[in-house]
Amino acid sequence: MNRLKHLPTLRITPGAARSFTYGKHTFEGLQGDTVATALFANGVRVFGRSLKYHRPRGLYSLDGECSNTLMEVDGVPNVRTETTPLTAGIRVAAQNVMGRPELDLLGVLDAFSWAMPAGFYYRMFHRPARVWPLAIQQIRKAAGLGRLSPDFRMPGRFDEIYPAADVCVLGGGPAGLSAALAAAERGLRVILLEARPWLGGAFEYRAADDGDGVALHRKARDLAAAVAARPEIRVFTQAPAIGVYSDGQVTAFQRGGPDQSFDERYIEIRAAAVVVATGCGERPLLFEHNERPGVMQPACAQRLARTWGLLAGTEAVFSVGHDLGLEAAVDLFDLGLKVAAVADIREDGQDPTLVKALAQRNIPLLKGWVARKAHGGNRVTGATLTSVNGRFHRRLTCDLLAAAAGLTPATGPLTLAQSQLAFDPHTGYFLPRTLPKGLQAAGRLLGLESWAAVTASGRRAGLQAAADAGADCQAAIRESEAALRDLPGAVRGSKFVIAPGCGRKAFICFDEDTTVKNVDQAMAMGFDVPELIKRFTSAGTGPGQGGIPGHNLPLYVAQTGLSPDAHPRPTTARPPLVPTLLATYAGAQHDMSKRTPLHDLQVACGGRMERVGVWTRARRFTDDPRCRTEILNVRTNVGLLDASTLGKFLIFGPDALKALQRVYVSDMARMTPGRAKYSAMCNDDGCITDDGVVVQTAENDYYFTTSTARAGVTVEWFRYHTRYDGWCYHLVNLTDAYGVLNLAGPKAREVLSRVTTADVSNAAFPYMGYREMAIHGVPVRALRLGFVGELSYELHVPSSYMPALWDLLMEAGRLEGIRPFGLEAQNALRMEKGHLIIGSESEQRTTLHDVGLGFLWQREKADQRLVGAAALMQTERQPGRLKLVGFKMADPSGPPPRDGSPIVDARIRGYVCTARYSFTLKEPVGLALVEDGLAQEGARLAIYEDGCQGQLTHAVVTPYPFYDPEGRRLRQ
Amino acid sequence: MLGRFKRLWDAKPMKTHYDAVIIGGGLHGLATAYFLARNHGLTDVAVIEKRYIGFGAAGRNTAIVRANQRTQENLPLYKEALDLWPVLTRELDFNLMFYNCGNLNLAHSEAALKAMRLQVASAQFQGIDSRLLDAKECRELVPALDISDRPRYPIFGGMFHPPGGIVRHDAVVWGLARGAAKRGVHIHQGTSATGIGVEGGKAAWVDTDRGRIRTPRVLNAAGAYSAGLANRFLGQRLPISVLTIQAMVTQPLKPLLHHVVSSGAYHCYANQTLKGEIATGAHMDPWPNYTTQTTAHYIKHQAEAVTEFLPCLKGLKFMRTWGGLADMTPDMAPIMDGHSPAEGYYLDCGWGYFGFKSSTVTGKYMAQYMATGECPEILKPFALKRFEEHRLMGETAALVDYTANN
Repeated sequence: MNRLKHLPTLRITPGAARSFTYGKHTFEGLQGDTVATALFANGVRVFGRSLKYHRPRGLYSLDGECSNTLMEVDGVPNVRTETTPLTAGIRVAAQNVMGRPELDLLGVLDAFSWAMPAGFYYRMFHRPARVWPLAIQQIRKAAGLGRLSPDFRMPGRFDEIYPAADVCVLGGGPAGLSAALAAAERGLRVILLEARPWLGGAFEYRAADDGDGVALHRKARDLAAAVAARPEIRVFTQAPAIGVYSDGQVTAFQRGGPDQSFDERYIEIRAAAVVVATGCGERPLLFEHNERPGVMQPACAQRLARTWGLLAGTEAVFSVGHDLGLEAAVDLFDLGLKVAAVADIREDGQDPTLVKALAQRNIPLLKGWVARKAHGGNRVTGATLTSVNGRFHRRLTCDLLAAAAGLTPATGPLTLAQSQLAFDPHTGYFLPRTLPKGLQAAGRLLGLESWAAVTASGRRAGLQAAADAGADCQAAIRESEAALRDLPGAVRGSKFVIAPGCGRKAFICFDEDTTVKNVDQAMAMGFDVPELIKRFTSAGTGPGQGGIPGHNLPLYVAQTGLSPDAHPRPTTARPPLVPTLLATYAGAQHDMSKRTPLHDLQVACGGRMERVGVWTRARRFTDDPRCRTEILNVRTNVGLLDASTLGKFLIFGPDALKALQRVYVSDMARMTPGRAKYSAMCNDDGCITDDGVVVQTAENDYYFTTSTARAGVTVEWFRYHTRYDGWCYHLVNLTDAYGVLNLAGPKAREVLSRVTTADVSNAAFPYMGYREMAIHGVPVRALRLGFVGELSYELHVPSSYMPALWDLLMEAGRLEGIRPFGLEAQNALRMEKGHLIIGSESEQRTTLHDVGLGFLWQREKADQRLVGAAALMQTERQPGRLKLVGFKMADPSGPPPRDGSPIVDARIRGYVCTARYSFTLKEPVGLALVEDGLAQEGARLAIYEDGCQGQLTHAVVTPYPFYDPEGRRLRQ
Repeated sequence: MLGRFKRLWDAKPMKTHYDAVIIGGGLHGLATAYFLARNHGLTDVAVIEKRYIGFGAAGRNTAIVRANQRTQENLPLYKEALDLWPVLTRELDFNLMFYNCGNLNLAHSEAALKAMRLQVASAQFQGIDSRLLDAKECRELVPALDISDRPRYPIFGGMFHPPGGIVRHDAVVWGLARGAAKRGVHIHQGTSATGIGVEGGKAAWVDTDRGRIRTPRVLNAAGAYSAGLANRFLGQRLPISVLTIQAMVTQPLKPLLHHVVSSGAYHCYANQTLKGEIATGAHMDPWPNYTTQTTAHYIKHQAEAVTEFLPCLKGLKFMRTWGGLADMTPDMAPIMDGHSPAEGYYLDCGWGYFGFKSSTVTGKYMAQYMATGECPEILKPFALKRFEEHRLMGETAALVDYTANN
C-alpha cells in the first residue's frame, strides 16, 4: 500500500523496511510502524475474531481500548498490536480463529446470537446434569482469545525502578507538558508519563490551527522540545500509567528496546503531587454492527494518515458528534479520501469554520443525523444514516465508516486516585467532583478544547501541584486562574444518542460481544444498576476492561430511566489501567533468600542446600536421606552444625529485665551470671510461640536467642507487649551480625581446647554455662548447651569470622573425626533426646502445658503481667487438649510412621509430629500430639497413614527422652 | 427458557414484621434464607442488604471450592458443601457452573509435605479423595509447573484433591436469591440495618433506615461488618480482625491450567476461570482495615510469586485487580453461634478465607438452628466460647496473627 509522503506529522521512516511474518505471509512494514499499522499497510483488515460470536474485528482506535487487534506475537498471546512497535523478524498470528481471520469456520456462531442472550450460560447446560461436564469442555475451548504454551518462557530483559519526584504528571499532551513546565519552573523535580512513543497527545498530528496560522502539531512539538530541555523533568515515553494509589504513589511500565538496558520495566513512583492530564478518547457510537472492520473512530483514521501515512479507505462516511470529528473529515478529504457524507448528532453548535470547510469541499453535512447501521461482512460496504428522530434514512456506499459519539475523558486515573466523578450535562463528560489532596486534573479531560485553554489549564494544575508539593506559588496560581478564565471554557458535548431502532447487534462492549439488547435483557431480569449489569452481561470485563463500555454502559442505563441509580458513574476502573505483563510486574525478580556466612564452605563439604523459611541451609551432607553417618558421628565423635539462623538479640537498659519478665514465662530475675537460662514465650492464648536461652552478661544487660522462625518478629513482639509501659530498654537484633557454630559430640571438648587457651574443662565451663572467650583472637560468646543430646558448645561470633572459625575447628577436629552435620541429622538427634522444635512438635493451638514445658512457667510473676499468664492458668488442667507424647512402635522391626500421620480410633485423636528410625536405639521412635486420654504411658496408638487403605500401624506411648534420659552426656 | 427475561427476584414492599430477619445479602445470608424457606417452611423472611446482593465478599472471592481442610470438625462441613453444588444447580434450576477440576496444593519443603500428609490422611480417613503426589506427578497434572531447582522454593510434591474446583460465585448469589424469593423471601436491597432491639432477653426487632421490623429471629451475617454491627447493636465483642484481601485476573486465554494450583510458600493460588482468565490471589494485607483499595505492592508480589512456579504465565497480562474484606478470627475458623447475648439472635461470621466454599452448607445448618432454636451437632465446635477457653480450632498448623500486633 502506498503511503502518504512528506507530511510533517509522519512518524515512519520511509525506506527503513522491517520485514515480519503474518501467518504464512511475509510482510514489510516501516521503521516507526506499530504491528497493527504495518499489517494494515499490507492490506490486513480483519485482525481477529470476537470472543462469543466470532465476528470479524479490525482496527478501531489505535490506543488499544478493546481486544479487536489483540494478536499473538512471538508466542505471546493477547498482544496489543496497535500500541506495539514493529520490530524486524517478529511472527504475528491471529487469535480465536478456526481457519483464517477472513474465513473463520466459527463465524457461523454470529447467526445464533439469539441463542446466547445475556447470562445464557446461567440458564443452560445444567439440565440434564450429565450434559454439564461435556458443556464445560466446550465452554472452556470457546472462551479466551490467545493461546499460551505451558513450556513458554518469556524472553527479554525486565527491570524495575522506583523514582521519586515532587510532581508526577500523567499524560504528555499540551496540558501535561504545560503542567510539567510550570512545576519545573518552580524548581521542582517532575516525572512525566506518556503512553505513546512521543509527546503532544491529541495535538501532535493535527494540521489545523487555532486561528493564528501555526499548525497545532508544530505547537505541540515546540512545547515537547521545551520540556525536553528542562533538566528537572524526567520524561518517560511509551510508559502508560497503570496504577494511581494514595499518597502520590503512581505505577507505570515502560517499553524499552535494543538501545536501552531493558525490554520492559516496571516503574513505581512516589510523588508529593499528581497531575492527571490524560485527555480524552473518542466515545464509541452505538449503532447496528458498530464494530465491523472498516468502522473506526475518526481520530483513528486521521492518525493512520497523519502519523503512518495510511488512508483507511477510499470512500468514507463520517458519523460524529464533535468538532474534532468534522476536522478529521476535512483533513482526510484533503489527504485524498473521498467523503460521501458527514452525519453530526448535533442539530447545531458546530464550529462555523469547519462547516464552511466541509461546504467548500462539497461534503454533505447532515446535522441531527447519526449512523444507524454498518453494512458488509469482513469489510464495511456501506452505511445507513438516520435522522436522530428516526424519521429519515439514507443509505450510502463506503468502505470506511468513521464513527464516534464525541469525546469522553480518560477518567481511569482519577477513579483510582479516589476522585469522585459526576455526570456533567454540558460536556456530557464524567467530571471530577472532588479531587483528593495532592491530585490535580487538567486539559481536555475537563472539557477544554482550544490549545490556549488546554495549556493554561495545564499550567494552573502544574502550579497547584507545585503548591501541593510545598512550593510557594499562590500568586502565580491566581494569575494562571485569571488567565484561564479569559479563555474559552468547557465546550458543549453531544448528547448521548443511540440510533433509533437498533440494538440487536449494536455492541456496547466489543470484547465480550455485549449488545445493547443484552443490556435490556439484563435489566428486564432485575439487574438494574450498571455494576450488576456488568457482572451479568460481562460488559467491561474483557481484555480491554472498561475501555469501550466504561462510560457508555452507565449512560445507556441512565437513559432508559429504569434504573434506581439516578447518578451515573463510570463503571469501576481498577488497576492496571493498561493490561501489564506479569513479566513486567515481576521485574528483576531477585532471589531474596538469605545465606549464612558458611554457605560456600558447606557446599564445598557436600552440603545439600535447601530453602528453609527465609534462609538457605544445609539439609544434609551425604546422599543418605536418613543421615546415618552424620548422626552416628555426633553420637560417637564430634560434629559441626551451622546454627547461624538462630535469632540473636541484645537487650539492655534499666527496664530490660521487666521486658524479659513480660514475655518469658520463667522468672528472669533469677539468673546466675555465667549461666544460661532456658525459657519460652507464649501468646495470649498460652500457646507456645518461641523458646531459647537467655544470659545475663552484665547489670541490666542480656543476650538471648530465639528460634529461627521468630527472629524476624521478636523485636516487634517485645515492643508491642510493652507499648503502654514507657520502659527504657534497647533491643538489638544481632541475627545477621552474628553466626553460630554448634560443636557437638563426646569429643567436642578436645576439639575446642585445641583452639582456645580458655579453660573449657567441665568444672570451669559446666553444662548450661556461658563464657566469653577468644579463639585465636576472635571474640566468642560460648554457650554450653545440648540440643542434640551430647556435650556441645554453641559458639557465637561476628559473622565475618565464621568461615575462619569453621576452618579452625574442622582442622582442629581432624583427629577426632569431626564432620559437618545438617538439619536432618539435627532433627533426628534432638528428637531422640526429646527436645522439641516449635512448629514441629507444636501447632498454633498448642500451649506450654501441652508440650510438657509447663514447669518453665513461674506463676508467682503475677505483677509482671506475663503475656499469656491468664490462659496458662485456665488451660493448665483443661481436659480434651492435644498433649505431646513419645512413642515406640508396637512392632519395632517395622519402619517409622511418616511425619504428619493421624492417630485414630473412631475419630482422629492426634498425629505424629516427628518419627525416625533411631540408629542409636536401633528402633523407630517418635513424638506425637494426642488427645489427653491417649497420653498415658503404655497407651496404644493406631496410626492411619495416607494411602494405607485402612491398614493401621500401632505404637505405644513411651516416656521421652528416649536417649540419655538422665542427661549424663550433656554434663560429661 | 430462552427469550423469557423475567426478574430473578422481585422488589417487595418492606413489612413491619417478619418471622426472621437476616442482616447481610451475601451468600451466607441468602443461603440461610433459602434453606429457612425450603427446609423449614419459614418463608416470612427478610434479607436486609445495604448495597446490592453479592456486593461484598460474595462477589469478590475467587470461587475456589474444596474439602481438604485440616481438622475433623471442618472436613465434614466442607465435604457436604462440595456435594451440594450439583444438587443446588438442579434445585435452583440455575447453572452454578461448578467446574470440578480438582485442586493441587504444592509443597516446597519437608515441613509442608508433613503438614499435607496430615491433611491428606485426615481427608482419606473421612472418605474424602485427597492424595499426595511427588513433583513429577504434579507436573503431569499441570504441565506448566516448573519442577526444576530454579525457583526460589523448588517443588517437593503436592496434595491433589480431585473433588474440588471452582464455582461461578455470582451465579450462586443470583440462584439463591431467585430460589429464596420464589419461596416468599423478601430481599431488601439498599437497606441498612441500624440496630437490634432486645426485649426480656429476646431479640425483638431490627431497626433499618427504612423503619423498624419486628421479628423473633435475627441473623447477623454481615461478613466483614458483622463484628462491628454486633458491637454497635448489642455490645457483643467478637475476636475478629478485618483485613483486605486482593485478587486479580489476567486477560483470558484458551485452556492452559486444568486444575486449581496453590502454593503455601509463595502465598499464592492460580486457576483458570471458565472465561479463560487466570485468577490469582491469596495474601492478606498484613494490617486490619476496612477499605477495599488495592495496593501497588501486592499485584507486583503476585506476579513474582505465581511466575516462580508457573513461569509461562510471564507471557500473560494482568487486566484487573480488586480487593475484598475478610473477617479473620484468631484460629482461622468461623464463629457460628446463637442465643447470646439475646435469645433468637444468631451469628454466622469470621469466615475469613473460607466464606464462599462453605456458604451453602452453612446456610442449611444455620437455617436449621434458627428454625428449631437448637444448635445442630455439626456447628457446635464453632461456638464463640472456644476463644474464651483458649481452645483454638487448629485449622492452621502455623501461628497466624491477624490482629494489629502482628
